[in-house]
Amino acid sequence: MRTKKTTPYLYMLPGVFMVLVFVYIPVIFNFVYSFFRLSSYSAGKTFVGFDNYRRFFSDDIFPIMLKNNFLYCIISLIVQVGFGTIVALLLESKLAVKFKNVYRNIYYLPALISITAVGLMFTFIYEPNMGFINSVLKVFDLPTRSWLGDSKLAIYCIIAMSQWQFTGYITLLMVVAFQNISTDYIEAAEIDGAGPIRRALNIQLPLAKEQLLVCIIITVIGAFKLYTEVYATTSGGPGNSSQVLGLYLYQQAFLHDDLGMAAVAGVFIFAITVVLSIIQIKITGSGKD
Amino acid sequence: MKKSYLRRALVFILAGTMALSLMGCGGEKESPSRDTSKEATSGEKTSNEETKKEATTGEQKVIKFMHRFPDEPYNSFIEGKLHEYEASHPDIKFKITSAQNQEYKEKIKVVVGGEDTPDIFFSWVGDFTYRFIRENLILDLTPYFEADPEWKDSLIESQMKQYTTEDGMIYGVPFRLDCKLFFYNADIFEQNDLKVPTTFDELIDVCEKLKAAGITPISFGNMEPWSASHYIGTLNQICVPDDVREKDYKPTSGEFTHPGYVEALEYYQKLLPYMTENPNGVKPDMGRTTFAMGNAGMYYAELIEIPYIKMENPDMKFGMFKFPEIVGAEGNQDILTGVPEGFVVSSKTKYPDECVEFLKWFLGKEVGTEQCQEIGWFNAAKGTTEGLTDQALLDGYNVIMESKAMGAWLDNALYSTVVDEYLTAVSDLTNGDITPKKVMARIQKKAVEAQTLVGAGSTK
Repeated sequence: MRTKKTTPYLYMLPGVFMVLVFVYIPVIFNFVYSFFRLSSYSAGKTFVGFDNYRRFFSDDIFPIMLKNNFLYCIISLIVQVGFGTIVALLLESKLAVKFKNVYRNIYYLPALISITAVGLMFTFIYEPNMGFINSVLKVFDLPTRSWLGDSKLAIYCIIAMSQWQFTGYITLLMVVAFQNISTDYIEAAEIDGAGPIRRALNIQLPLAKEQLLVCIIITVIGAFKLYTEVYATTSGGPGNSSQVLGLYLYQQAFLHDDLGMAAVAGVFIFAITVVLSIIQIKITGSGKD
Repeated sequence: MKKSYLRRALVFILAGTMALSLMGCGGEKESPSRDTSKEATSGEKTSNEETKKEATTGEQKVIKFMHRFPDEPYNSFIEGKLHEYEASHPDIKFKITSAQNQEYKEKIKVVVGGEDTPDIFFSWVGDFTYRFIRENLILDLTPYFEADPEWKDSLIESQMKQYTTEDGMIYGVPFRLDCKLFFYNADIFEQNDLKVPTTFDELIDVCEKLKAAGITPISFGNMEPWSASHYIGTLNQICVPDDVREKDYKPTSGEFTHPGYVEALEYYQKLLPYMTENPNGVKPDMGRTTFAMGNAGMYYAELIEIPYIKMENPDMKFGMFKFPEIVGAEGNQDILTGVPEGFVVSSKTKYPDECVEFLKWFLGKEVGTEQCQEIGWFNAAKGTTEGLTDQALLDGYNVIMESKAMGAWLDNALYSTVVDEYLTAVSDLTNGDITPKKVMARIQKKAVEAQTLVGAGSTK
């Protein structure tokens, strides 16, 4: 059967249409809205030029938000991706042969719970007077803290909660990647006398490089889109100490009726995530082989 | 040949179904599909039994009703009354949605002004509703009141005044009256030989004695920062002269330079050592529960919290007193913090007369009498206390009736960016991370910015 020249393009059309309508066009509209002042219920919009951008970058909260998002990014890379990969290596090693699937499911379970439910649960755990953590500390006569009520600790408490929830998710992704490595390589390395650590560093990790890069990219993007975890616990408080870009966007849109400012926050998040993704892809030279 | 026709037909049917479902995505205006954009709608309920019928036939009038009381028993009471009205008015059908406090404040702004604007919805007194009025989204009820003087006379004037703008536009009708009072545990006071304080210094004395006895003097949770704003609102009223404060609270003229604002924050700081430890980590509800369980001497509460306290501890013996006098303060000590909360009608509703008729009944004396007996909340109709035996509720009601003036909640009275700055700055103050002068410096900056923001982006 001969295929017409245009057939492949016809097959592509629905996909292209959906990506255009649901991804690219909204991004462009968002960029346009960032130059206006309007609310979700206002009848019209006013052009304000770069005023929204000026207000965004000169806001006192801006450095706090950037710091919080970057903190989340770095800690997540170390814990979720780093530690998650180590756990995946352990699961694939001789140590966990017997109950591998059981362990894997246990680690993955938290990722299935709704983030809002986890947030509410941890609000109780972190409660300074009757919560689980402080109750245990009191039993051992250790000093208690205010956790989510402490301006210096709140964001770390939220980050910790997120690590608990999503490390298993990364573990699962890396386990799949490691399983796709042919056992021939590993056996050959064993015969040559390579220990487990050398095998991991020189064989398993390099062969799972693409998957690792995907995990790193989604973690970084997730760090800058962070919203639900903070909304469900502190809503940016105490003060503005746990404020993040995603929550700021939401509050500008629906608390302050300023969709223009929300659009600016959206443009900024988009720019950061695109730049960081491009940097990562270029550094690792992904897709070349 | 036939096979390829069949295959093509199948492909077209599948493609058509996909396209139709896409259209369905875009055309659906029901609230469930919108919620995917916000995960935190934990308190939200949609009445599933109501099916939307087209109003074009002229038979069924569907009135969309949105409220912020999804908790029991309030939700059942409200829905019960709506169904009762439907039974006596077969041409009317209600479509009910609700959301909890904080989520409501955000959700309502998404639905108002759109195709799905509720016909009748809950809205707070102050700038919260003024922002909608500036966009002509609220029905002016003044003509209805002028046409029906009997209705006007049946409602308490001091409460209706709250839902009236400076220009005389009546924009809402109260559903529940409210005020802020200090509740105290009568048993703890008796055991420690304490008298109800009438001045701020006496209050500090009482707190000292309670603290020495190992009891938390004032139960307080500020994880939701509106909680502290109730203290600050009251203290602002006491420390800042009325005319200055009224000018500052208006977004177009707010400056907040009077030293009384700093004094108010300093008085709040004086109370902090006697409040629950680490209040920023404690939810306001937890503050109330601590008091209800007898683990604190006092709690600055809203009158409408009485039913909650009774549910949490039916045997609790408590009394109430007004916020103590601060000797020498420049403001108005007679203002009782608290305003009624009620419902407004959308200016875009298809059935304005039906909505107003419904509100006349729902927020009137007959339902009001049942309301205070069943759920412990008063509406603004006169004479709803007949047959009410709960002394605490009656005492609270009398406080409202006798007060010379009411003061709006700080977090609804001010422009939203100014409120946000106030709440976050006071949250920092509560943690001791900032001084009162620095707090006011931040607020002054936001107030100046608000003067340019307000009204911009609207059609006016």
